[in-house]
Amino acid sequence: MSHAVEIRDLHYRAGKTFEIRDLAVNVPTGSMYGFLGPNGSGKTTTIRLMLGLLRPIKGTITVLGGAVPRESPRILARTGYVPEQPHLYTSLTISEALAFHAAFYPTWDWKWANELLGQFQLRRDQGLARLSKGEMGKLEMLLALAQRPELLVLDEPTDGLDPVVRRDVLTALLDYVSQHNATVFISSHLIHELERICDWVGVMDRGRLVTELPMHSFKSGIKRLRVEHAPALPGDTPFVLLAREGGNGSLETWTVRGWQAPMRQYFEGVGASLREIVDLDLEEGFVELLRTFREPTIGA
Amino acid sequence: MFEHIDPRSPTPLYAQIAARLKLAVASGELRPGETLPSVRQLAARLRVNPATVVQAYRDLEGEGFVEMKQGAGTFVREVASDRRAVERGKQAVRLVRQMMQEAGQIGVTTHELTEAIRQELGAKVA
Repeated sequence: MSHAVEIRDLHYRAGKTFEIRDLAVNVPTGSMYGFLGPNGSGKTTTIRLMLGLLRPIKGTITVLGGAVPRESPRILARTGYVPEQPHLYTSLTISEALAFHAAFYPTWDWKWANELLGQFQLRRDQGLARLSKGEMGKLEMLLALAQRPELLVLDEPTDGLDPVVRRDVLTALLDYVSQHNATVFISSHLIHELERICDWVGVMDRGRLVTELPMHSFKSGIKRLRVEHAPALPGDTPFVLLAREGGNGSLETWTVRGWQAPMRQYFEGVGASLREIVDLDLEEGFVELLRTFREPTIGA
Repeated sequence: MFEHIDPRSPTPLYAQIAARLKLAVASGELRPGETLPSVRQLAARLRVNPATVVQAYRDLEGEGFVEMKQGAGTFVREVASDRRAVERGKQAVRLVRQMMQEAGQIGVTTHELTEAIRQELGAKVA
């Protein structure tokens, strides 16, 4: 499988308290990769490193087959970026911002830019200083899309936008991906949004990558189990036991990772019985994963 | 048609979309020769990854429910009535399983459940 982004053994430090350690990330070409993590976990820093905006202490970063930062100009010409904070000159009008942006990108598509202006209900003569948050969000996405990038790097692109604007922005993004085999790397807190559109997930916490796997594996592998007569020592489990909590009487709740249906045999082997298997959605799975990543107690 | 597509469900989205379309073919809601929405349209409408829609359509094609014609679109095929009945039967089993699972979680017994079904069916006929 070829990768649009490959990060190996990356180290970075900012000040005394924050560092990124041993980071490895692989974003398959053509995937929609959801980058999850709590505030301050290093998502934006990773994105800035990826685009050559920050320099690592060590490690290698390859984007669209080119080494960052050596081949950055060639890479950035093919990459659309929506930063967390708007980065446009507020003294410009929308028209001027478009012309300014277009000059940097040989693949810029004026026809489509004009279509998107209509779709997003943006007016050319509007001054950027007066745009609402929603209008600014739409303009940022428009600029990233109209350059017809092979890779889109979106840092919280819908954060703080109302549901109508979020839908417009996502629809335009999906429309683009339907027609071009672009790779999308998207960081967001809005987990349910990622759950719909992403086929890969990477989870960061405290400057480290907790896990990286296809969305369906992530979702189908994390379960909550209700176990009766659970053994005091679980021994060799075929799954990863993330957490266990006592309940009423002989019933315990286990949270596990890497679950597959045949593993229920394990419980018979240890004299316990599996009463129920509860599916977790992406958000619950994410929360459980982080909780146990921070406080590794058992089974790890 | 796709109101019940649930991204939070553990059933993959492509499987949910394919199942919903199969049911539409089985029930006659979709007729032979009808066109399915384009991948682009359906992805935008459901706000899902286009690859998810492609996978759903490929699965349907593999099972003989639709035909993908390059450049022209995806068309519903003629599906024999006994095959459509089989699909509806599968759907019925799915509904019952779901009901039994929920009943189990809240402590409703099998007897209570069958009684309730009998009563409700009777009420509907009357």
